[in-house]
Amino acid sequence: MIMLYVLLLPLIVVCIAPLLSSKKATYLSAISFLLPFFAILYCILKGCTPEISIVTLSAPIGEIYLNFDYISHAFGLTICIVSAMVALYALPYMVHRFEEMELNVESEFKKYIFLYQFYAVSMLWLVYSGNLILLYVFLEIALITAFFLIYFYGYGNRQWVGQLYLIWSLIAGVLALAGIIIIGVTNGTLALNALVPPFATVGMIAWTLIFIGMVIELPVVGPHVWLPWAHAESPTPLSALLSPLTVGLAGYVLLRIALIDYSFIAAYRMPIIIYAIFSSIYAGFSVFKQTDFKRLLAYSTVSQMGYMLVALCLGPFGLVGLVIQYMSHAFGKSILFSSAGGIIAVHHGLRDLNKMGGLHDSIPTLSNAAVIGFLNLGGMLTIGMIGEFFILRGVVETFGISMKSLPILLAVIFMFILSVWYGFYTVRKVFYGKPKDTKRLEISRYYYVPLFIIGIVSVLFVFPPLSTALIPGLNSLIQTLMGLQVAAVGGVLP
Amino acid sequence: MSNELIFLLLFLAPVVSSIPIALAYKNKGWTDKLPYLSVFGIFISVVMSIYILVNLDGQYTYSWIPDLGINFVFMIDYLSSYMGVITAVIAFFIAIYGLEYMKGDYRPSWYWFCFNLFTASMLLVVYSDNLFLLFVGWEGLGAASWGLIGHWFRDDDDIAYVGKAGRKVGPLEFSWPPSFGGWRAISTIRFGDVPMFLAIAAIWVFAGTLNISEINWHTLFITLGAAGTIILMVCLLMGLFTKSAQVPFCEWLMTAMTGPTTVSALLHSATMVAAGAFVFLKLTWYIEPWHMHDVPGVEYVFIFVLAIGLLSGFYGALCGTGMRERKVLLASSTMSSIGLMFAAAATSYWIEIEVAGMNLALLVAFWYMAIHAFAKASLFLVAGHLIHGTHSRFLCGDFEFGKRMKTAFAVTLIASSFLVGIPLLTAYWVKSSMDVLYEHLWHHHDMTLPLVLLIVISLLYSAVLAKFLSLNFIKGEKPKHEHLEGGGLMKLGYVLMVAMLFVISCGIILFEEAEHFRHAGGEVMSIGVGLAIFAVFVVAVYKPSISALSRFGSFLSDRMYLPYLNDYILPKIGFFISHILDDYVNPAIDGFFNTKVIPGLFGWTSRRVRSIQSGYLSRYINIVLGLVMIILVIVVILVRGVWQ
Repeated sequence: MIMLYVLLLPLIVVCIAPLLSSKKATYLSAISFLLPFFAILYCILKGCTPEISIVTLSAPIGEIYLNFDYISHAFGLTICIVSAMVALYALPYMVHRFEEMELNVESEFKKYIFLYQFYAVSMLWLVYSGNLILLYVFLEIALITAFFLIYFYGYGNRQWVGQLYLIWSLIAGVLALAGIIIIGVTNGTLALNALVPPFATVGMIAWTLIFIGMVIELPVVGPHVWLPWAHAESPTPLSALLSPLTVGLAGYVLLRIALIDYSFIAAYRMPIIIYAIFSSIYAGFSVFKQTDFKRLLAYSTVSQMGYMLVALCLGPFGLVGLVIQYMSHAFGKSILFSSAGGIIAVHHGLRDLNKMGGLHDSIPTLSNAAVIGFLNLGGMLTIGMIGEFFILRGVVETFGISMKSLPILLAVIFMFILSVWYGFYTVRKVFYGKPKDTKRLEISRYYYVPLFIIGIVSVLFVFPPLSTALIPGLNSLIQTLMGLQVAAVGGVLP
Repeated sequence: MSNELIFLLLFLAPVVSSIPIALAYKNKGWTDKLPYLSVFGIFISVVMSIYILVNLDGQYTYSWIPDLGINFVFMIDYLSSYMGVITAVIAFFIAIYGLEYMKGDYRPSWYWFCFNLFTASMLLVVYSDNLFLLFVGWEGLGAASWGLIGHWFRDDDDIAYVGKAGRKVGPLEFSWPPSFGGWRAISTIRFGDVPMFLAIAAIWVFAGTLNISEINWHTLFITLGAAGTIILMVCLLMGLFTKSAQVPFCEWLMTAMTGPTTVSALLHSATMVAAGAFVFLKLTWYIEPWHMHDVPGVEYVFIFVLAIGLLSGFYGALCGTGMRERKVLLASSTMSSIGLMFAAAATSYWIEIEVAGMNLALLVAFWYMAIHAFAKASLFLVAGHLIHGTHSRFLCGDFEFGKRMKTAFAVTLIASSFLVGIPLLTAYWVKSSMDVLYEHLWHHHDMTLPLVLLIVISLLYSAVLAKFLSLNFIKGEKPKHEHLEGGGLMKLGYVLMVAMLFVISCGIILFEEAEHFRHAGGEVMSIGVGLAIFAVFVVAVYKPSISALSRFGSFLSDRMYLPYLNDYILPKIGFFISHILDDYVNPAIDGFFNTKVIPGLFGWTSRRVRSIQSGYLSRYINIVLGLVMIILVIVVILVRGVWQ
């Protein structure tokens, strides 16, 4: 029950924060996410995974409840820590942005903090939703609040970009909703605890609809074109949530559906994985040509989401890898977007990579933070390393080691290599080389301390006690659910 | 003291002790003093590693993610207990040297943090038995080496470059700044690391354990079959070869000389580049390939390693003869030595000679690694001092200069002559055993080429180091700048380092496992090769450069144009793909969905629909009449259709 109150806290703050001054509201917002973060950590360490029922509705909706299992915890704690840190980061940034837009800082901040808090909290509730319909509702709330944030405070052609984002996400959402309704009608319930493998099925049509919807949201190459617009032109604190947290939630939805019924993925594994690898490598190559730092990061997001889709195809170990990959990408990308925003704020709107170079001299802290971010994306020394390990194990388990599987193995290897390549290429291009100005700029602590906290968390998760508690929990949960499916099919699920 | 605490101190002391300086990056007063704390952290590691050597033995396990077989498992065996001490001691001596060398640098915090992280990672690689844990250290090496090589990120000081600024060979400028050195190091290393990680994951699946010493390699290879074994081992070796800068992944090592000299010394003597060879040794130690003649595929793997090792040895030594830059010359010779280590370890497949219960081939490779580590580190440290003293990274220094730099001169003389294998000096004994190994291949397995290559490499190698000695202290040009004051701590660093060679000599005289070395040193062939090496050394000192061959020399110092592969061909291909994708495909998709086609269609439809609403009566009448006509036509068609 305590977990419920802890989750309600940020929801209450949505209403209170707009009443306070900008600084107080920021701290309140950060605390309202930090408390759940620690509560979740405590839960993970103690192994408590309660279910809290809210209300039971008639078929086809079924029980609406909050689901505190390891998967939700893993996503939830990521959302909490990133939201809390970005909330702090946003204080000077948004003030700067309002001044730049010649708006009244105090009154605009009230609007902004309301939207921000509502947006972040809806994602948090999304991952704890035990019912698919509730999950959909929070997905839409997140979508709309994000739309308003882009529409009001974005850069460039922000109204157009906002609408673009809204339309694409709506298409994705509606497709998913159609799929969810079909699931509800066929199974008579949408509660996750009732949709357990031996009895529940997700038909081919429902799977196709949800898959297409979430692949647009994720996104993969093809529909990916909305993402560079939305992530590059939104105000940076939003980019720092949108890219790390929101798009990855499509992966979360796919994961939940896969845990109910994996047959769709098993049936179309080859085309999906080839498409996912292609998508990831395609986006990885696109990164090298970007001239706008935020757009570059957006392409890198597309590449990283390819990892998640690859992981989805790789059986139980791949699914564990998917969850960890989400965490590592979220940590890394939030750091990176924030540091990109820091450059914008400190260097008067500097976003063009061709004008950068040698920035480490003026902003060493942001530069070092960006390195940690790219280490996360590349899966070096941070939680991403474990994710990568699980994904690679999934590849080996699924395809084996032989001449026949060699092309897939090489493709996956190359996909992983590429992210470190573009990462450190970018670091060199942006931060190193001949500095144009060797004067060290004094920048607000809000700009970099939160980033290092995220970085430290990402490293801590590699080592005991956190990894000792989290990873076996995730693994056994996913193995159990997948095991039920194998038992149901009565065969071997590769 | 409990063992847990020993290991904690061993790995964490360097890292924790460098956190204060990392935090105090703004305060100059603190960053001048705190390096001493960092060095102290490494000192604790030295003490711990010696304690481990003396007191501990066997496997130590501490749980991490036990359900999945990922644990902190440390294996204290012959290899790791000695290698741990070597690593820690070398890092400590270099750190002492660095206290003076890095004084007044523009980012000491970065340097010391990365330096200590690097040391801790290397120790982790050395001691860990669990492959995942080893990989953590391995990635730490990669990341920290990137930071150290690119330390002088401003690219503003010519002294930190590799290659002559502005010198073009074809379309490519043969000059590399530090930030580029770092990027190339990590991109090359990563190219091997991911395949290695895949191989580790595969071992996890098929062997059921990640502990090197517990894996049943025989069963594993049989399960995988010949093709599977080769794929697995080649993936694994990719990581080792890239880290150890073997052909064709050697370019990063040359441009890594853009880092501060302390870094070059640390990375390219006992640690980073030796890590690949060391891990290969460690794996081979437990794979026991000499018992695997019945397993298909294994032989190819070891032939492959032998070939790559000898090829790298040859390439490195040959290029070294043409080099003009102090550190690049040493780097090139390092690559050659590492090649010899790989090759010697690979011969274990065919060698069944046991000395004190250990395979001779592995012992030779390991002892050679130890000698090389101290000798090469001394040479690098001297090179750093020379660069400080002469303000030039190119070989220069006449006999007058040599007399003024007596200590450096003496250390170079000792380190180079002890390393190349001149009779009776330290490396000679180990090299003699190496000759015996290859002789065995020749006599029993009809492989002549390895022995020939080994002798050629040894001779070239001798010439390279003799050239280094001669052109720096005896026959080089007179340096343009000289300032020789100070340097106390630097001298201390390399004197201590070179003194370790005498310690190893004692080991060769006293240790039981060195018996074969002593014995092999007396063989006719070894004496012959040793004398030839000595002759080459003397000749090369007397005549360090041959002007008639200068064009061939510059071909060699351009590393046989291998940089074209790294800097021209591969990037061109990559950027061409990026160019196609981002300049054509992305705009096309974007145009279709977001900016042109679909929005255009909506706009077009909308305009059509709106154009109906013009407000003129004639328009509506036209529309109504048109509709009536259409309906009439349809009706006529339908009616006729029904009637017929």
